[in-house]
Amino acid sequence: MQRWSFLLNKLKWAVISILFVIVLNFFLFRILPGDPVRAGIRDPRLTAAAQEALRVKYGLDKPVINCFETLNPLRTGPCLINPLETQFFIYAGNLLKGELGISYHTNRPVASMLATYLWNTVLLIGFAEIFSIVLGITAGLVAAWKSRTAVDFGTLIFSLVAWSLPTFWLGIVLLFAGSTWLGLPVGGKFTIGQFYAGGGEKFLDLLRHLILPTITLTVVVMGEYMMIMRSTVLEVLSEDYILTAKAKGLSTFQILKDHALRNAMLPMVTIIALNLGFTVAGAIQIETVFSWPGLGLAIFEAVGRRDYPMLQGAFLLIAVSVIFANLIADLLYSYLDPRVQVG
Amino acid sequence: MKKLSTIIGIFVVLALTLAACGGSPAGAGASVLRIGWAGSPDTLNPGAALLAESFVIYELAYSALVDLQLDGTYSPDLAESWTVSDDGLVWTFTIRDGVKFSDGTPLTARDVVFTFEFYQAHEEFPYMNGYTYAFDTVEAPDDRTVVLTLTTPAPNLESQIVFLYILPEHIWKDHAEGQAASEFENLEMVGSGPFIMKDYRQGEYVHLEANRDFYLSPPKVDEVVFQTFSNLDALVQAIKTGQVDMITEMPNTAVATLQEAPDVRVVTGPPLAPDITDIVFNVTEPQDCPEDGACTGHPALRDKTVRQALAYATNKQELVDIVLLGLGTPGLTLIPDSLGVWYNQTIQDFPFDLATANRMLDDAGYLDSDGDGVRDMPDGSRSLTFRLNWPSDSTVAPRLAELLAKTWADAGVQLELQALDPDALSSICCPTFDYDVIIWGWGSDPDPSFLLSVMTSYEIPSGMSETGYNNPEYDALFDEQNVTMNPQLRQEIIWRMQEIVHDDAIYIIPFYSKAVQAYRTDRFTGWITNQPKLALEDVTSLVVVEPVE
Repeated sequence: MQRWSFLLNKLKWAVISILFVIVLNFFLFRILPGDPVRAGIRDPRLTAAAQEALRVKYGLDKPVINCFETLNPLRTGPCLINPLETQFFIYAGNLLKGELGISYHTNRPVASMLATYLWNTVLLIGFAEIFSIVLGITAGLVAAWKSRTAVDFGTLIFSLVAWSLPTFWLGIVLLFAGSTWLGLPVGGKFTIGQFYAGGGEKFLDLLRHLILPTITLTVVVMGEYMMIMRSTVLEVLSEDYILTAKAKGLSTFQILKDHALRNAMLPMVTIIALNLGFTVAGAIQIETVFSWPGLGLAIFEAVGRRDYPMLQGAFLLIAVSVIFANLIADLLYSYLDPRVQVG
Repeated sequence: MKKLSTIIGIFVVLALTLAACGGSPAGAGASVLRIGWAGSPDTLNPGAALLAESFVIYELAYSALVDLQLDGTYSPDLAESWTVSDDGLVWTFTIRDGVKFSDGTPLTARDVVFTFEFYQAHEEFPYMNGYTYAFDTVEAPDDRTVVLTLTTPAPNLESQIVFLYILPEHIWKDHAEGQAASEFENLEMVGSGPFIMKDYRQGEYVHLEANRDFYLSPPKVDEVVFQTFSNLDALVQAIKTGQVDMITEMPNTAVATLQEAPDVRVVTGPPLAPDITDIVFNVTEPQDCPEDGACTGHPALRDKTVRQALAYATNKQELVDIVLLGLGTPGLTLIPDSLGVWYNQTIQDFPFDLATANRMLDDAGYLDSDGDGVRDMPDGSRSLTFRLNWPSDSTVAPRLAELLAKTWADAGVQLELQALDPDALSSICCPTFDYDVIIWGWGSDPDPSFLLSVMTSYEIPSGMSETGYNNPEYDALFDEQNVTMNPQLRQEIIWRMQEIVHDDAIYIIPFYSKAVQAYRTDRFTGWITNQPKLALEDVTSLVVVEPVE
């Protein structure tokens, strides 16, 4: 019973956060100065009449919301118009129908574009997250167990360096090294124009393209996991119950697995869940370096073009995934530490 | 610890195995030309397109009535021949016989009429609508004749219809009305060009195959692939390692290293579609200030003497050498040298001469009255301190701005440098005129008309005019060249217009950049590099290149 109300409470806050994000997203991009119609295009052929027609096509000729022309408080728009004819309520109405709008840049539905990009990003982040969680936690655990030995210092130095490396720099370095000495592809998802004898060959080609971006992201993320895992485990190992476990004559492996790991996982779950949101941001850099057709690259380009529907859609998607990652982290908490749901 | 090293070991072995098993480009014996570029078409729908990359693809998959050659002339394409009435209003085109779309349907004069009317009917088509502005009626008296009647003579009609790609009526008639016209994705891209669309992913690649039935000479390669790289260093690395066969652009800083790479040849030349960099002065007079304008330009910049002095204080050769690493030529007028006959190369430019610049400013009374090292207005009201802004996405502008600040300071003029987001720059630029000096640029058409229009007073309220320049003589000449059918007469007028604006120094054109491209010599041969303009991705090269034996 208590578990259900805990869950409902969490869900309620998740929904409120999403609603807040929807409103914020809409206004955030419109506060920025400028004009999607002219952004990035410097061509005298784009006449004033054509710009006006584009504005009508995008729906930007309508007031943003009643009484506000833009969010500039000095410029007020008409107050007595039908709210349903303002940009905000048209957007909200479409959202209720499950429509994210048409991208200004490609004239394609945002939802279908996002679906493609998201899948690509999940592919990239998924592999990297799995590798970095496994490697990070294992190395952190080992370093803590062998604390103040060469192994510990080595891990510590590696994780400090990895954590502080600029993502794009590491990416560029690996790109040069990997493509020069290993013949790995410098960008994209597949070798375009390649003839595949079968699906297996195509899959191998995809894996080859994944190697460099995955290594980059793994190194960057894993450093953080190692550090935090190491310090948490060190703390746990100084607890009395570890001493008790040792006194009971349990093996090192059993102590680490059954006593240290589970208790140290609490902060790790938080970090990993929070990180899922940040990895999308980190993926912006990696996707740009490796021309990986994912969400990060799409956002990067949409910002430059003031592609409002695309930005709103992408940010909503990220917000929803971060909120859900946190929700899942909360639920995992109550599984890992039953005391949590009472609090 | 053993476990960890095992995992890392497995990882490395896996990586190496995968690295080894890749490689051979395109099996099955087909010759696939792989082009790397930094852009991607925004859409395959010619009506809705905004980006130059889209037009590169249209040139390959579609055909128009006429073709633009790399020497700036127009040659017959779908139209075998054409005649113009003496008043320049009625154009009659004879369409080539037996042309088929890639789906096998014959291309007739009906398709041409449909296409022209379709482009004209949609005001929201960014460019196509502008190219059809002078169209009155389009008729097809028979399957091979198109009669185009204009509302006003258009001496540059060829330069406009060259972009009007002929669409198959039987496909587009279902998408001809309203929003559907822009939202039609046109993924099949049925056209009549030398290449046929095979596969396309926006932002990733364009995959074309040769049209073996092309009515002019068909391509010699089997397939062409355009792959998008989102950063230029990766692009350079891609050609170095042989992952692509040609790249359409690269940073100037990469030229030196790439020239030494084996089997790679770097080529430079005037670009087919030039992007002009300009230094813009806000010369808006108070009476010309548009309704929404702020018009806060520094009053000294409205004085021609000051602008000319600044032109004298600009060391264009140094800008070419340092900003472009020598890959360009000193600029002269807003009409770039790659526009051939329209470019007035006879104009005598203001040479770099700080003594003259200082003397001019001294004589005009701009003296350093308060002794702070910066000149002041003759009435002492304010110093000659100008705001200099540029778009933050420009790679050349930051260094250009620094060099300008240095030499202009030697003429007693101070600059406050600030990069702005392009969008923010738009909002202070025009028609707000809330700036002093801007470094920006324009993309250009093969015909100078559009570029010349940005200096007319008509374009002040629309925001096309970035200077706020108002010169009735210039406006009159602009109107005249717009309807002068005789090419020699038109050229004279256009040259005169360039002289006027050069003397008024409303722009300083620092340089004309060269296109820098590279191709691999061990893969394909026959690239066209000896023409007045350079564009390896243009259809002219792509239909003649063939695999190296």
